Amino acid sequence: MIPLEFVLIISSVLFVIGAAGVILKKNAIVILMSIEIMLNAAIINLVAFSSYFGDATGQGFALFAIGIAAAEVTIALAILLNLNKLRKTVDVDDISLLRW
Amino acid sequence: MDYTALYPEIIVALFALALPAVNLLLKDNKFLAAVSLSGVGLSMLALVMYYVEGLGPLAFDNGLLVLDDFSALFMMIFLAVAFVVILASAKYIEGEKHAAEYYSLILLATVGMMLVAASTDLFVLYIGIEITSLSSYALVAFRKKDIKGAEAATKYFIFGGISSAFTLFGISLVYGVTGTTSFSEIGAAVATLDAYKEMIWLALVMVIVGFGFKVAMVPFHSWAPDVYEGAPTTITALLAAGSKKMGFVAMFKFFLIAMLAIKADWEIVVAVLAIVTMTVGNLAALNQTSIKRMLAYSSIAQAGYILIAVAVGTEYAVTGGIFHILTHAFMKGGAFIIVATLTTVAIGERISDYKGLAKRSNFMAFSMTVLLFSLAGIPPLAGFASKVVLFSSPIMGTVDGSEWMVWLAVAGIINSAISLYYYARVVKYMYVDELEEGAPSEKLKLPRSMVAAVAICVVAIIGIGVFPEYFIQLCQNAAQALFA
Repeated sequence: MIPLEFVLIISSVLFVIGAAGVILKKNAIVILMSIEIMLNAAIINLVAFSSYFGDATGQGFALFAIGIAAAEVTIALAILLNLNKLRKTVDVDDISLLRW
Repeated sequence: MDYTALYPEIIVALFALALPAVNLLLKDNKFLAAVSLSGVGLSMLALVMYYVEGLGPLAFDNGLLVLDDFSALFMMIFLAVAFVVILASAKYIEGEKHAAEYYSLILLATVGMMLVAASTDLFVLYIGIEITSLSSYALVAFRKKDIKGAEAATKYFIFGGISSAFTLFGISLVYGVTGTTSFSEIGAAVATLDAYKEMIWLALVMVIVGFGFKVAMVPFHSWAPDVYEGAPTTITALLAAGSKKMGFVAMFKFFLIAMLAIKADWEIVVAVLAIVTMTVGNLAALNQTSIKRMLAYSSIAQAGYILIAVAVGTEYAVTGGIFHILTHAFMKGGAFIIVATLTTVAIGERISDYKGLAKRSNFMAFSMTVLLFSLAGIPPLAGFASKVVLFSSPIMGTVDGSEWMVWLAVAGIINSAISLYYYARVVKYMYVDELEEGAPSEKLKLPRSMVAAVAICVVAIIGIGVFPEYFIQLCQNAAQALFA
């Protein structure tokens, strides 16, 4: 069995990669992918702890979280598609109508 | 399995799912609004039954969800907000496509908020937050041809997605350290924790960031003014009065049940964030030109006030926090609905567009004045009563070693004084200033349903302000149920 620490290191690295992508990337679709990586890092955590404790709660939670993440992508892509239709861009630097 | 504890949520969810089907039979916008209003009304009736019959705490499925005084009061607040928003929407979205989906999404967002209020488990809490967030992303983008709405929705889901990723990672760490997702069991496990304390601290930071985005806490507030400005104004009312309050419910549950044992570790952080949030919100609101942005920053400032309740964390403080959430829902919801009402009669969203409003519509000017003065905390309005309870809590409830909390009350009062400036400016524009030259000056013909929605908020604000004892008692019962 893989030791718990290894899985936690992988999930932490994934979370940081995702967070870096959100901060550094300018394309909204890449940002969306980075957010998904962050969510997946958390899901890996849940499954790892669940198998470590031998407790099914975490895995059930992980399944729900996967479903929610999928729903989030659908709505986000619909919004981005609409934005692309109106502005011909999905670059977050160009989203600048709302400023003070 | 006994579903009694779930009836309020089930009713609203059924109506939400039935609405698109009803739309196939009858495409009338007003009819759809009436159907969704009756759904909200029925659910409220179920809650009234709970209060009248005195059913006591009802648990569902070994306590994944509970219907007690705390969750019942918050469900009532969320349903009241949904009611007012739907009532105002009937006219506001007239002529738009996809009305059925619009109402359906509002009801689903409400179900999510109600689930958060009822949750006794991190699992249900997270799912409730996500149901509300996903519905509101779609609602913000409701006007497909509106570029501002599309941009606001993009910003909203990016920030919302980051928030939910942080929350989920924090929750997974809490689960990893304590081995359970139930709030009370986490609370017991944290109290006797000897190892992995750093892990809990990391989880706390993650959850503060995640919930901080939801309640628009500084420094995670930057999305709020943009989204509030770009969204359809009725949806702004729902976001400010409903989904933001849901974030506070989640904070109460997470910090004051699950993490109460290590309160000494996080209270100073929350207290500093509270002071920073109210100050930044008020200072940024001072020189706004758009009324929606001004109200958005004022909403950030109010979030800072409510955070005092989390930082102090006594039963009295939570009473004040709940009371302020109740009054703020009506004040802010009502103010945004006034803005929405005025846009239907071609009055713009700049503050200067409100010059001389009293001459064109006395009722609107009066309602706005009541709501703004209540936000500033002027007696005898509801905002004064709730601020009294909230700001006195750091002084009343201090235990030894936390006398510094008095500064929370000081900061709150100074900030209320600052905020009076920008609220009073709008009132001056409406009553003192003359109409701009060349502007139309005839009396406004306002849509009746929207006037009714505004009237509900104004009556609630004056009623709560004049008879606060009864509502304080309700909030106190709710706070007791939270700590029970």
